[in-house]
Amino acid sequence: MRIQCKTLGGFAYVPGLQRPIHIDTERLNTLQAGELESMVRAAHFFDQSDSVRPAGAADYRSYRITVEDGEKSHTVQVVESTADHSLLALIAYLRRLGADGPS
Amino acid sequence: MDHTRHRRSIFCILPPHVLEAIVKNGSNAQRRMAEQMLRSAAAMRTARAAVDARLKALGPSAPTGAPHKQRVIFTTSHTENIPGVRTREEGQGPTGDAAVDEAYNGLGATFDLYWDIWKRDSVDAAGMELDATVHYGMNYDNAYWNGERMIFGDGDGRLFNRFTIAVDVIGHELTHGVTGHTANLDYNGQSGALNESVSDVFGSLVKQYAASPRQSAAQADWLIGAGLLMPGVKGEALRSMKAPGTAYDDPVLGKDPQPAHMKDYVTTTSDDGGVHINSGIPNNAFARLAIALGGYSWEKAGQIWYKTLTDTRLAPSSQFMDFARLTALNAFQLYGAVGKQAVIDAWRQVGISVN
Repeated sequence: MRIQCKTLGGFAYVPGLQRPIHIDTERLNTLQAGELESMVRAAHFFDQSDSVRPAGAADYRSYRITVEDGEKSHTVQVVESTADHSLLALIAYLRRLGADGPS
Repeated sequence: MDHTRHRRSIFCILPPHVLEAIVKNGSNAQRRMAEQMLRSAAAMRTARAAVDARLKALGPSAPTGAPHKQRVIFTTSHTENIPGVRTREEGQGPTGDAAVDEAYNGLGATFDLYWDIWKRDSVDAAGMELDATVHYGMNYDNAYWNGERMIFGDGDGRLFNRFTIAVDVIGHELTHGVTGHTANLDYNGQSGALNESVSDVFGSLVKQYAASPRQSAAQADWLIGAGLLMPGVKGEALRSMKAPGTAYDDPVLGKDPQPAHMKDYVTTTSDDGGVHINSGIPNNAFARLAIALGGYSWEKAGQIWYKTLTDTRLAPSSQFMDFARLTALNAFQLYGAVGKQAVIDAWRQVGISVN
């Protein structure tokens, strides 16, 4: 499974920090790969659609996430203030993996 | 019974001197009823006096039009589970947790500016409770307004410090709430950049007003997020209203991308069409105007901007030119031809011609 996650917007929007995170589960250890794949399932990622822009909200971050799993590929843009907890948990995990990985 | 009740309701609106005349001159039944009404009226007056005394104790303007400063700070303890646990409420003392206490004080400073200067009672002008969540997420480099509450991250500790560290950031987020309840500027393109700029303007005013001693436009640093960048990062803040594009220039962050002039307007699909980038243009117009007018920024420039933000003619889809025109009209109403000319000059210096 390959995942790409790009952060967009936010109060501290700094174009220089908008580098996307790329994760390939084949390069993770078994534990991390298993956790990540189960989080993608728990978030029903392939059934998710783009978030609606929240009314009245501002400075929120959006995340553009693409998951490729075999034949399947799906991209959604998720707004943090309206995303469900399972998607937020997935994003947090991706960001942690991205921060730990080679930069 | 119905008949009696009906008569009693008439007695209720009779003044005491009429009731006293009935006691003296009426039939036995009328007298008994009037005596009862007088007793309950006296009891009512006693109760009212007690309520009045309590309201008076609350403050000089308490009985009508009193401000409703009601802050509640929550903490999510580095999760994303909003709202989190109530940690400090209105009237409670410091907790010793810097983010909690800075949020509490910053909400107070923002409330005070809007109340003291414009008699605006909270974000919605109707005493809305001010809620903030701190310690949001892990290494979270952001602060945002979700339409109902403010959310602050602690920063990653490498590039960014905690987002409550600068009072103007707190004023900025709360002002998004004010904008949501007034002009409701669409959050993309130029209207979005205006939305962002208005938040920077009033966020900066909160900082200038809360400073001790208060800062004039000439004394203000006009920085947004001073102290937010960690030591070692080459920069003094996230944005500069006085000199957009100069807040930071760092190997990791890159260079501050804000334009100060329309000729450098950035067309992009990122960041909701560059709302945090092109806000530099109206930001600079405001800082120039405030400095040109002199004195405290909230005295004149702030009055013009607040009148414009709350002006029903300011449509959600307003572009820079629409906003600029309205500021000129409102400046004329408030300060005559001299005020209007100062506004026109400020916009001209950022490349926007208003006539």
